[in-house]
Amino acid sequence: MSYDRALNTTAAWMLAMFWLLPLAYAVWTAFHPAEFETRFEPFAPLTLQNFVQAWSEAPFARYFLNTMILVTGIVAAQFTLCTLAAFAFARFTFRGKGLMFALVLMQLLIMPDILIVENYRTMSQLGLIDTITAIGLPYVASAFGIFLLRQTFMTVPKELDDAARVEGCSYLGILWRVYIPLAKPTFLAYGLVSVSHHWNNFVWPLIVTNSVETRPLTVGLSIFAVTDSGIQWSVINAATLMTSGPLLIAFLLFQRQFVQSFMRAGIK
Amino acid sequence: MFANLLKTASAAAIATVATAHMSFAVDLEFYFPVAVGGAAADTIEQLTAEYSEANPDVNITAIYAGSYSDAGQKALTAARGGNPPQLSVLLSTQMFALIDEDVIVPFDDYLSDEEKADWIGGFYPSFMENSQTGGNTYGIPFQRSTPVLYWNKEAFKAAGLDPETAPANWDEMVEMGKALTLKDDSGNVTQWGVRIPSAGFPYWLFQGLSTPAGAILANSDGNKVNFNDPKVVEALEYLVALSKEHGVMQPGSIEWGPTPKAFFEGETAMMWTTTGNLTNVRNNAPFDFGVAMLPAKERRGAPTGGGNFYLFKDSTDEQKDAAVDFVQWITAPEQAATWSIATGYIAPRAEAWETEKMKAYTADFPPALVARDQLEFAVAELSTFENGKVTQAFNDALAAAIAGEMSAKEALDEAQAKAERILKPYQ
Repeated sequence: MSYDRALNTTAAWMLAMFWLLPLAYAVWTAFHPAEFETRFEPFAPLTLQNFVQAWSEAPFARYFLNTMILVTGIVAAQFTLCTLAAFAFARFTFRGKGLMFALVLMQLLIMPDILIVENYRTMSQLGLIDTITAIGLPYVASAFGIFLLRQTFMTVPKELDDAARVEGCSYLGILWRVYIPLAKPTFLAYGLVSVSHHWNNFVWPLIVTNSVETRPLTVGLSIFAVTDSGIQWSVINAATLMTSGPLLIAFLLFQRQFVQSFMRAGIK
Repeated sequence: MFANLLKTASAAAIATVATAHMSFAVDLEFYFPVAVGGAAADTIEQLTAEYSEANPDVNITAIYAGSYSDAGQKALTAARGGNPPQLSVLLSTQMFALIDEDVIVPFDDYLSDEEKADWIGGFYPSFMENSQTGGNTYGIPFQRSTPVLYWNKEAFKAAGLDPETAPANWDEMVEMGKALTLKDDSGNVTQWGVRIPSAGFPYWLFQGLSTPAGAILANSDGNKVNFNDPKVVEALEYLVALSKEHGVMQPGSIEWGPTPKAFFEGETAMMWTTTGNLTNVRNNAPFDFGVAMLPAKERRGAPTGGGNFYLFKDSTDEQKDAAVDFVQWITAPEQAATWSIATGYIAPRAEAWETEKMKAYTADFPPALVARDQLEFAVAELSTFENGKVTQAFNDALAAAIAGEMSAKEALDEAQAKAERILKPYQ
């Protein structure tokens, strides 16, 4: 029994170390001069120079602001839209419901990359090229969000719904007072997935934006991918840590809640 | 309600037309990719601003578009979405794809005969090989490069070789490589003789072998390839033999990114890589280094690489005239010299090398001249219609031979058959 457990613990540690290695390498190179990129010396001099250099090569402060506006905007819009749609699909019967839900699910099967040209054309017709709205708009009606919330709402006992209605609560009141509080873990889990996806999204924002005022962090980061002149790992890693830092810190802080909500929401 | 909306919309449209007529400014958008570090993007923005200042009637916006492949995707998406830039710098090898998509136009229609002769004729001919087809000029060379050989003079001295002489031909490279390959007591290699990166896009440096062997991989119409020419087979056999037979190069696929690092750390005494690395090596090599043309076989030879200006179709004639004028300005000697010094790309016209700036730069740093001198022997980078697929077939063959899964001949025969199938509709 204890033998089995020891084996389990060792395996878990090894996997964890394996997972941690790239991050550890990033931290090592980011805080040391470039000579130590491929050499490990425990007492190598520490430096913040890489961060200074990375910060000066692109307007990262502006990019941070843009990314924050983008992800908050997207998540707020997705929560509103997906909640309302999911509520309708979960609790109402109307003509064409099955067909409409099938259409929503079909969106899950389509890779967003295929739609880039079509989305670009739409944004161009709306006159939204080079705006933060254009980066977020195609992702607002998220099929994944609608599906996930609908599944969660379906598990809410009908009795709670009925009781609220007997008390004279309106539909929106029921949604607000009964369904949303019970679906909190799902909102949290979905919010995290959405934030990290849009924080990292690169191709679409690059294509649809043209100016510093609208571009997110990932586009700023790409300026370091300089294949023609040799890659400087220390500066790239400093920039990567800088841009992914807020997400990493948030995850470490709320780790327990995140893991629990993932378990409850069934997203793996 | 709807009628009201329509009225407002048409009023707005009229207002837009009116303002457009009142100011005679031409708006231009120009996408550029960045593949070298440092201040390349800043340099382009500076040059663009300088031009706008001198030409107040042209309003030009330089838009950073990521790596070469990102920029290609951005430009194509914008063009298909009906909102293309007027100008873009994209890989010279994308010419056929852009023609196939019908999104670019040749520069010829917007140039006088005199300009055609003087201006187009003034670029190095090897750069124009990837820029012209069917008698038309679709690309204007801008950020162009070529691979060269870098060698570590200290390692040469330690191996008893003349530190001032690089290998001039294939046999010398093997001989010198053998002298330079060092092993520790347990037989592990501590320093390789030479490093030719092959991961990702092996075809480019491989052209530095197939061209000296006397082969040209594709015709200038972009619809025929010679992948299994006996001379190409010979070149691939030589590349494989460097590791397998002579033991002077690390076996297997070799990454691009860490190659300069391996050179600085003394893991290899010679490396083949692009001239785009010149500034990086100059700043970071902890030893004396030399730069030479790639070694010769039957002849000297190397591919060119990098990006050209393209003129997009969907724009007004005024915009196109203004765009051509801008390209003429930015490739003029002073601007080309500034750009070349800032990035390490080869100034694409002989005149730029005659400027005071450039003379001072090359006097201080003569290796910058090697790449330019190699242009005399350089050929077009592999480019055909359906370039992605054809190049992929060729890359797969090279990778299979390097990994030892197939003989050079077998692999190249297969690539040739695949490429012929892909190119059939274009013949």
